[in-house]
Amino acid sequence: MATAVAVAGLGVSVWYDAHAHLRANAEESTLKAAQHHLAALRHDKVVTNYANAVTTNRRNDLEASIGTTLNQLAGVEASVSSANAGASLEGVGISTLHTCLGGVQAALSQVSANNNAAAAKDVSAVSGPCALLDGGANAGLVYPFDFPDPDVILVGRTYYAYATNSVAGNIQIIASSDLTHWTAVGNALPSLPAWAKPDNTWAPEVARANGSFFMYYAVEVAATGTQCISVATARSAQGPFVDTSTGPLECQQSLGGSIDPSTFTDTNGVSYLVWKSGGPGSSKVWSEQLNAAGTGIASGASPALLLLPERSWEAGTVEAPDLLRANGHYFLFFSGNDWNSANYGIGVATCTGPLGPCADATPNPILSSGAGIAGPGGESIFTDTSGAYWMAFHSWVPGAVGFPNSRDLYLRRIDLSGALPSVAAPGPG
Amino acid sequence: MTDVLLAQPRPPALIPAPPRGGPRRRRVWVAALTCAALLGAGLGYLLFDAIQSNHQYDGARHTLRITRVTTDVVSQELIKARGELRLVTQQVGNDTTALAQDTSQLEGARSALSAAQAHVLEQASLLNSLHACLGGVEQALNALAVGSQAKAAGALQSVSASCAAAVNASG
Repeated sequence: MATAVAVAGLGVSVWYDAHAHLRANAEESTLKAAQHHLAALRHDKVVTNYANAVTTNRRNDLEASIGTTLNQLAGVEASVSSANAGASLEGVGISTLHTCLGGVQAALSQVSANNNAAAAKDVSAVSGPCALLDGGANAGLVYPFDFPDPDVILVGRTYYAYATNSVAGNIQIIASSDLTHWTAVGNALPSLPAWAKPDNTWAPEVARANGSFFMYYAVEVAATGTQCISVATARSAQGPFVDTSTGPLECQQSLGGSIDPSTFTDTNGVSYLVWKSGGPGSSKVWSEQLNAAGTGIASGASPALLLLPERSWEAGTVEAPDLLRANGHYFLFFSGNDWNSANYGIGVATCTGPLGPCADATPNPILSSGAGIAGPGGESIFTDTSGAYWMAFHSWVPGAVGFPNSRDLYLRRIDLSGALPSVAAPGPG
Repeated sequence: MTDVLLAQPRPPALIPAPPRGGPRRRRVWVAALTCAALLGAGLGYLLFDAIQSNHQYDGARHTLRITRVTTDVVSQELIKARGELRLVTQQVGNDTTALAQDTSQLEGARSALSAAQAHVLEQASLLNSLHACLGGVEQALNALAVGSQAKAAGALQSVSASCAAAVNASG
């Protein structure tokens, strides 16, 4: 009995032990499989993360390349736009140049056919395009053709401007109703007196008195070759002005001649002729009383010296005087330095009366070469329909200085309310 | 009662009878005791071995549980990483296409720029010719105004090449 029990117990123990082994081994196998799977997963994860990092780098590189490319594209597109805008502007410039050149060529053809009036019309017809080419109205340019030593008067509501001879005639005349758009009228002085020689009729000034218009101008005396001053009259501002004189109104032959006439009528109604004598280094500005008719020097009058070229900027030349009175002050405007250069400029002197004495103001010049203008001069002062003061002057276009280039017509507002005049910046009224 | 009991004669004490055949009987006892000892030792070993196996089983089971949890975590991370990889790969594809398009557009823009610049240069040349021509014609007019035919002719002559170039360029 005990043996049986012992054998049975031994058998149970063996079975139990074997079962425990089997179970432990099975669990170990499962664990190994699970660990192998985990190792595989970890490997996959490492590989995937690596691939992810590589791909992300590639993506970042691509995005950086896209950014660079887009920046370059933006730059190139901006350049294309700029080039196209430049081409467009050039296209406008070409078109404008074609138009202007066409008008000037037509004028040249008319001159060749001895039809100067038609030439003037042809030129003024392309005034707008040509003005754009010469810088537009930014600097005050209003008439982009040769119009030296301008003088402007207001008759009714129409402005007339006169200038030194050109292909348009002995004395050019143009008209405007707004001071901006000017049209050629023609030749204000179709013929010269017998004693005068053509092609050198300069610096006209037109004054109105007793229902007539008086044009004072410089002209070459045929017999002597000296420039002297004469006067012509007309019933209307447009002319034709007729000079019936038998000799010059003023001529200081010993001083090298007399040119650049202008007139001044004081508040007492007495008129004066103001002009310049001599050439570079010997120029002088004079004043002398006119007779009541305005066609001759007052009896007993003699020239009074107003101004000498004493300032360095004038370089020995003062000319183109224009005397006026404003707010109780006498202002003598004049041009100084070499007319045929960009050094030319406009100055002002203050005077105690129409016969002087006058003294250079400071600072001078009040207008000189600058943006859009080169060598301004030949000025004259006038009032517009509202009574505001303007200065008409000629200037070379920068880059085209010196004869036979053109001296175009410019207008600038001028302020005479102070002790000294000041020229306003160009722009609308 | 007590007296009764006391009155009864006490039975003789149970004293084992001396073994009959002495040494043989002792050998049986020794064998029996040896078998019992061997049996006990075997059972002890078996019991110890079973306990060891159970400990091994418990350890493996515990480690397996941790391994499975770790596996789940790693699996989730792997799924996430694969998702990210898929997304980034898709982005790379899109970016490659976009870069190709942008590059093509850039080439086109560069071509347009070259053409525009050439056009600008061409027009600038024409402008220069026209400007020079106009200047000469205007100078001729001004020279004629003062009766200087020679100067007028000279001015026109000096710009004849520019005028011809302008005419040619204008077609």
